[in-house]
Amino acid sequence: MAVEKGQAFTGSEKVDKYRALYYAGASGDYNPIHIDPEFGKMVGLGGAILQGLCTLAFTAKTVTDWTGDPGRLKKIKCRFSAPVMMEDAISVQGTVTDVQAGRAKVELKVVNQTGAEVLQNVEAEVEA
Amino acid sequence: MSIDIKFIGKTYAAHTYEVGKEKIKEYAKAIKNPDPHYLDDAFAKKSKYGTIIAPPTFAVVFGAHLIEPVFTDKELNLNMVMLVHGEQELEFFEVVKAGDSITTTAKISDIKNKEKLDVISLELNSKNQHGKNVSRGTYTFVVRK
Repeated sequence: MAVEKGQAFTGSEKVDKYRALYYAGASGDYNPIHIDPEFGKMVGLGGAILQGLCTLAFTAKTVTDWTGDPGRLKKIKCRFSAPVMMEDAISVQGTVTDVQAGRAKVELKVVNQTGAEVLQNVEAEVEA
Repeated sequence: MSIDIKFIGKTYAAHTYEVGKEKIKEYAKAIKNPDPHYLDDAFAKKSKYGTIIAPPTFAVVFGAHLIEPVFTDKELNLNMVMLVHGEQELEFFEVVKAGDSITTTAKISDIKNKEKLDVISLELNSKNQHGKNVSRGTYTFVVRK
C-alpha cells in the first residue's frame, strides 16, 4: 500500500463496562482508579477510568488496521489529556501529514462521544 | 516535596520477559484487536513473520516490569497517590514474536520541578534474544504537589 500525504483513515471503539478489568488482567495495571468505581468516585474521577495505555492501544490499532501490517508501525506518542470512562465511545481520525525517506508521519485526533480530546499531541510514524 | 533532580540518570536492574503466545492473545483480546497476526495460528504461520507476533503496544506489558521498581523505589519516594500518567512515546524496531526473550533496561531520563507539580520521565530500552533492539519507551508521569 503506497502512503501519500493527505491520506486519511478512521477507527472507533466502544469502551464496554468491563474493559478496564480485561486490560488490567492483560497488562498488570490493577490501579484501583481503573478497577474500582467506588474508589474512582472517592478521588473525584466520577467512577473507574480506563487505563490510558488501553486508549493508546485502540489508537495504534486504528493505524495498524490501516497499514495492514503491524510491523509497519514505527512510532506512536500521545499526551493523556482527559479520562476515558466505561461506556464511552472513542473515535480516532488519522491524517498523513508528511512522507519522507520511506517514513510517513501521521497526526491523529482521538475524541470521546462529546468530541473532547482524550489524547492530545498524538503522532505516529509508519513505513510508507 | 519535590523529586530530587539528582536522580536523573538513575538506572534500574535489567528484566528479562519471556513472550508467551497465549499472553499475546490475551492482550490482543483485552485491547479489542482481533488482527489475525496476533490471534490466528494458521494465518500467522503463513504470514511474513512465520509465527504469532505481538501488537506493537505489547511493549508496555514487558515494560511494566521496569516501571514497578521505579514506583516502589524508596530512595526516589514518589507520591503515588498524586501520580498520573502524563505522556507516552513508543518506538518500534524489530517485531516481537511469540517465544522471544525480551530484556529491558530502564533509567530516569528527566525530572522537572515546577511550582505545582513534578514531571518524571523514564526511558526503557528493550532487546530481543538476538541482541536486536525491539522498542524504546518513554513514560512521563506527573506528580501533583
